[in-house]
Order: sequence, then structure tokens, then C-alpha cells
Amino acid sequence: MNSLSGKAPSSREKRLDTLSAYLNEATALLEVFRSDEVDQRIRTFSQATPDDLFVALEALADIRGAVTVIHGPRGCAASRLRPVLRRGGSGNGEGRFVVTNLTQRETILGADGKLRAAIAAVCRRHRPQVVFVVATPTVAINNDDILSVVNELSEELGTPIVPVFSSGFASKAAIQGSDQVSHSLAKRLIPPFTGPRGEHANLLSIDEPAADRREGERLLAALGLQVNSFPSGAGPDALARAAAARLSVSLNFDTAGYLGEALQRRADVPFLPLPRPIGLQATRHWLEAVGAATGRQDLARQLHGREAVILSPLLEKTPLRGTRVYLSLDPATALAVVDLVRELGGDVAGLSVDHLDRLHLAGLGSLLERIPALQVHVGHGQGFEELNLLRRLKPDLYVGAGGPLVQVARLGIPAVSLAGEPIVGYRGMASFARKAVNALRNQRYVAGLAGGGHPYAAAWFQRSPDWHIKQEVR
Amino acid sequence: MGSAFIETSRNSCALHGALATLGAIDGVVPVIHATAGCAIQYHHGISPFGGALPKAAGWGAPLSSANIGEKHVVFGGGSRLREQLKNTVKIVAGELYVVVSGCATEMVGDDIPAMAKEGREQGFPVIHASTPGFRGSVHRGYQIAVRALIEQLPARPDRPAAAIPGLVNVWGLIPQQDVFWQGHLRQLEKLLRAVGLTVNPLLGGDRGLEAWHQVPAAALNLVISPWGREVADLLASKYGTPWLDSQGLPIGPAATGRLLDSLTNALRLDAAMVAAVRARGQAGVSRHLAQIAPLYFAAGFQREFAVVGELALVTGVTEFLSETLGLIPNLAVVTDPLAEERRDDLLAPLRRLLAPFEATLALSEDAGEIADLVRASRPQLLIGSSLERSLAEDLDIPLLTVAFPLAGRLVLTRGYIGHEGAAAFLEDLGTAILGGPEGRGA
Repeated sequence: MNSLSGKAPSSREKRLDTLSAYLNEATALLEVFRSDEVDQRIRTFSQATPDDLFVALEALADIRGAVTVIHGPRGCAASRLRPVLRRGGSGNGEGRFVVTNLTQRETILGADGKLRAAIAAVCRRHRPQVVFVVATPTVAINNDDILSVVNELSEELGTPIVPVFSSGFASKAAIQGSDQVSHSLAKRLIPPFTGPRGEHANLLSIDEPAADRREGERLLAALGLQVNSFPSGAGPDALARAAAARLSVSLNFDTAGYLGEALQRRADVPFLPLPRPIGLQATRHWLEAVGAATGRQDLARQLHGREAVILSPLLEKTPLRGTRVYLSLDPATALAVVDLVRELGGDVAGLSVDHLDRLHLAGLGSLLERIPALQVHVGHGQGFEELNLLRRLKPDLYVGAGGPLVQVARLGIPAVSLAGEPIVGYRGMASFARKAVNALRNQRYVAGLAGGGHPYAAAWFQRSPDWHIKQEVR
Repeated sequence: MGSAFIETSRNSCALHGALATLGAIDGVVPVIHATAGCAIQYHHGISPFGGALPKAAGWGAPLSSANIGEKHVVFGGGSRLREQLKNTVKIVAGELYVVVSGCATEMVGDDIPAMAKEGREQGFPVIHASTPGFRGSVHRGYQIAVRALIEQLPARPDRPAAAIPGLVNVWGLIPQQDVFWQGHLRQLEKLLRAVGLTVNPLLGGDRGLEAWHQVPAAALNLVISPWGREVADLLASKYGTPWLDSQGLPIGPAATGRLLDSLTNALRLDAAMVAAVRARGQAGVSRHLAQIAPLYFAAGFQREFAVVGELALVTGVTEFLSETLGLIPNLAVVTDPLAEERRDDLLAPLRRLLAPFEATLALSEDAGEIADLVRASRPQLLIGSSLERSLAEDLDIPLLTVAFPLAGRLVLTRGYIGHEGAAAFLEDLGTAILGGPEGRGA
């Protein structure tokens, strides 16, 4: 955990020994983390993977009443078209973004003036409640003085202007972008606690699909808690209420932990860093922990009992019985989905996670008690390694969220995408089971795709999958 | 244009334009020398919204990216690129590897041409294209990628020295920025085949680099958008190949007929044969126009419209709608960033179409500005991209989505060029009007 005094968090590697490249048995992986300093691994061949800038842009896209000013060349803003289009176009206000469209000359001479003009014009045009200014590789290199512009204009315009110092190379783990956004939100938009303490609970949600957030809100409300859910799907008013909450919980400790801890230190709001509520037992555990922290144990138990009854026909059928499932997900989700798959009767054939660090050791350790010989691959979007692994493992079903999924499906392996799909809580469980079962029930489309082959040279599959993962020379 | 910012930009950067272009050529593998997210921005922000996927995008994400980190920014990323390139040729199957650069690696001064040269010296087919986002929009990226291929494609001993009669290169069609790129190419192929010509399948075909080796052998370079002119000039000076500018996409019978006439003159085609093709095509369109007549009046097809899109498309759409279908243009917004010095020439044909109706012509790539222009023109029909969806709903008018970015509509072979394309355009226009407010029940 970083102090909020800096303009951005230090790299995830420095804070949490985050690994982005690794392949071995999980026991060996835990061994790596026993030493005080973890040796980093690098790839001598790599494929496209999200960076901190991309993740920060995604995390900001769902904050209400905000405009994002992306200070960089045009392409740095490209991914923000998706959230605008999801909302039906550029007219309705939410998810708005502008790009300062830096030219070659401006990357050399600096473009503070252009940034200043852009922020002022955006405030005049849209009167946003808050403006986020996002840095990009170009300005990280040429050192545009974003901070001076922000400080000057915040006062002049009377609108909170929040800088987010992404660079595209701040960490090898893209999740750094969530931490950057959390850092800036905590530093600039969450006021210090002045009392009195309210009755509400913060639900910290950085990047969950709306359906998952709603499931989290539903469960907390069913415990009789007033829910203050943010930053995703909420405006600055929710952040203003955050410091007075009685506690904070999240649906994903990995993305929301930074914000939770910042709130805890800044405003004494206790943060419960719980495993993701995915699958029956993890959801029960999550509910009971929240219940225990708020004196609602009985309500939590009753709620779980009611929901479990609804799901019992599904569980009795053990619809994934005999199915070997490979998971390729972010680590917090992957560790939870392992148990979900087992609750549905399936076995986990292996695991690819985007990154792995000290936040996941407890989860991984407890997993090993249940599955002693589990192989873990750490790699985000490294389809060439996954395909090499999967040709050996031959799973019956692949559950993923990113680029490699398409390559895997084109091998003829049935696949389920969790990108933007519900997975949290009881409703997430039912939704996932339905998708997984249907992927197995009719495999004609992927079987047809299989004829198209893969884009790799045959020689690659003669190599071991971790051929290009090397220990970094210090 | 030229302001401090662009709101909701629909024109991404040079790197992304190069990726869309190179990805549409079989056997070409882009090797991205940039920060990790550059390629991911393309994968999330461009490829889902540009109609048919170029072949490379069908793998879900670009296959080779150096993902440079802080260390490379500080100490230089040249050795990282060397390593990435050496391993890419071993892992990713391909016939040509093209190193494309992002902003960070260009700013820190990595010597990318030297790395590509080193690859060639080791016997690998490697070229390079300098495509940092700060060099310009996707359109510029298309031009840079095409130029790199023409200037650096390793020579082949079996390359035909003599011209191939009737072979036509088509330039200016940018995969995905033209959401109908695949359909438009097929329709052009079909149209030209009918008059005895062959379109060189440079993009999207299954001939891959074979077609690019044939570029110098073409009898004509056909320019179908302002972004094809630079390469036509290059080829004219390099090989003396003549070029022809269609001045907009040939949408509808009038523009299609004009293109066929120009081709007849330029390539001395059999005039009688071409006239027969024209007449057949025209008859087909006329039949369709007659078939929609009852609906035309019942659903009120004759509307005042605003059109937002790239110059070539806007010109083609405006001509068909106003000259053939009897609709009234109120506003045309050109969204591609045309070079200041050539702007007047490029806009002249569109100006001529708009003049009789005193319609407004504007240039903007800023969504806020575009929305203000559209509102002020009080259209009864809007033709544009999916970014205009909520605006059209607000104005309670039908929207026909024909431009990047395209969401909520799957496009594979559709396109609006030629006589066949006119029917497709009529279908889509009619669907928008009938499915829009007031249209239902007509």
C-alpha cells in the first residue's frame, strides 16, 4: 500500500512482487514468494496485452457526470469508443471523452497549453461534475507538466480536475491502472472523515460488469444495509459519502483493494478484503463475513439458505460432471471460479492468470489443499503459450475473457467468455452454469472453426510452453 | 478542426490504420514495437466496430508486440525489438514481417530501420513502417503502410516485367475505417469484371503478397478516396502507371455509369460492351426504384437529410440520395482530416451536389461539434455512424449507420458500390426509415 502523497502509486511489482510471466506447479510458485525479494521473469517473445493506460481508461468510463481528457495522440483514446457505443452514442453524456490529439511537434515541444485549453473548453461545453485527465506514454516521456495545469484550472474553473498518471509502462501488470485510478480518486475526491459515521456500507467496484455490481448491491441490501456503490456506475457524490461509511467491501479485492485500504487509512473505514463471492461457498463466506462485521449473522445465514434452495436443482445435476475445464482469467476471478467449477461437478485442468502477487497467496495456498497438483501459468494475453499448453492438456472446456479465447476456440475447444458477463453471487453462478452447459451441449460451431488452424509455426509446439519466459538479469 | 481537442474521436491513430491495413493481407505479420496497450486499444476500439474483420484481427488480438517497459523507455528498446523480431519469425507463421512503431519507441529514438535491416541480413523477410500515433490519423497509417509495402517489398525474380492488361489497383479504401471495405472491394471486382477488367486483390483476398508483387504491372490505379491519391502519385512517378480518381464512392447508377465511362476512356474499352453493361445495371436499379414506389410515398422517403462520414462515402451517398432518389440534403459533415492545402479541390464535387439545395458543408471530427451542426440543420433523416445513435433518438428521426464506428450491426459482404450496391443501399435506407419513428406501419 502506497501513501497518497505521491502523484501515482509505485509499481505493482515494487509493492506486491507482482509476477507477469511464470509457469510451474502452484507449490513451486508459492515457494518463489517465500523469499523476501521475488525475482522477476520476462518474456523474450510477447503478444499484445493490456497496459495500465487501457485499464485506467476502462475504470474511468463508468463514472457518472465525468469527462475524461486523454492527453496524448489520437490512438490513446481508441478503446473509449466501446463504452460510448454501449450507451448508444455520444449524445447522452455519460462516458464522454476527448483526446488532445498531440502531433509530432507537440511531443517534442510540450503541449501544456493545449491541455489547458482542452480542459477549459470541455468544462464550458459540458459542465461536468468532475474532469479526469489521463496521461499517456507520450506525455510520460516528454514530462508535460499536467499537475500545474490541473492545480491552476481546478481553482479557476471551480470543477474538480483529477489527474491520473498512466504511462503504458508503469508496470508489466495492467492492473496497475486500477491502482492509479484508485490513488487519484482517494487523493482528490474522497474528503477526510469529519463525522458523524453513517449507517451505509461502501461497495467498491472498479471494473465489474453492471450485472455483477447489481448482484452485489442486491445481496447487501438483502442484509438490510444501505449501499453506497462506487466508483463504477456512480458520480462524485458517492465518493463524497465514502468516508462516513461504517465499512467497505468489494466484489474483487484485487482491483478494489487499493481504494479500500486508502479509505481505511484516510477515514478509518474498515475494509474487508474478502475472496470474490463467486460460487456457492465463496458467496456464503462473503455474506457471512459482511454479516459478522455488521451484526447481521442471522440475516446472512437466512439469505444464503433461501438462495441455495433456488440453486439446489442445478447443483444436484452436477452439470459439469466429468468435464475438465481450463481457466484463463484475472487471478482473483480464476481462484474463485476453480471452486465454482468443482461445485458444478467439474475438474480444473489448469490455470492461466493475468498476473500473480502477494494478494493471491492465501487463495492459492488454500486451493492447494484441495487440488495438490495444480499447474499455474501467469501470462496476460499470451495465446502462444496457452495454445502450447492446451494442446498438451486437451481440456473439454475453456473459460476465458481475453484475446487467447478466440485462438483456443479455433482449435475446436468449446469456450465460454466471461468478458462483461455476470459471474458474481447466486445469479452469476446460474448464468455461468447455463453458458458452460450450452457450450458443451452443442460444439458444432467450434468444431467447424477447427479446420482453420492456428497462426503459429509448427516448430513452436515442439518447444516447452515456457521457452520464452526467462529470469530477469538484474 | 485544428482545435485543442477532439471529442469522441472516430479517427484513431496511424499505428491503428497500419494494423488494419497490414492485417488484411494474407501472410503479413505486423510486429508491434510499442507499449503493450497500443495493440489492445486497436483490438478493443477499432476492430469490433469496423465491419468485416481483417484476417489478422480474427485471431482475437495482434500476435506479436514487444510490450516495451520502463527499462526500454530509459535505456532504449532496440535490443528488445531485435529479440522480439528474432523470435516472431520462429513462432508466428508468415511470409512478411512488418515492424510498426508506436509513439514511445519513436520518441526514445530506437533505430527501427536498422533492426529491420538486421533481420533481412539474416535472411528473414522483414520491412518496417514508422507509424507513431503522433504522425496522424488512421488514414495516414494506411498511407504509410502501403508506401512501406511498395517501396520495401523484397523483389522477386519472377515478378512480371510487362504490364498485365486490364489489371487495376484500387487505392484509398481503408479496411475497417470503411466499414463496408470487404463488400466494396467485391462489388468493385464484380463491376470491373463485367467490363473485362481485373481488380488486383490487394486487401482481403486470398492471394496475399502475390497481389502486391503485381502492383507495378497494373494498367491503371483507381483512386476511390482522397487517401489513395498519394500512392497513385508514387506509382505514377515510379512506374508511369496512369491513375483515375472516382471522386467519391460510385454509389447509385449515375456515379457508377460515370466511373465506367472514365474507365472506358482511360483504358480504351469496347464502348458498346460497356454501354450494354451500364444499361443492364441501370435497368436493374430502375426496377428496384419502381418496386419501392408505394412505400416511398406511404413512409415519406422524400426527406431532408444530414450525412456524417468520410468524404468519399458522403459524396457517394449524397449523389445517390439527391440525384436519383429525390431526397433533400440539408447538411454534409466530412469527418476525415483532409490536408488543408488540397481541401478545396477535394471538396469541389460534393459542393456541386449540395449547392442546388443550399445545404451546409462542414468539416469536423468532433462529436460535440457534429451534434450541434446536425441539430441546427433540423434533418428528417440522419446518415452517419453509431456515435450518432442517441442524437437521432433525441431528434426522433431514423438513423442509417454506414460509417465507422459501427455497433449493433454485423457486416460481412455488404456494400453500396455499383448497381448491386444500390439495391443494398435501398434496402438499408428503407429499413432505417420503416423501423424509425413514423415509419412503422407505413
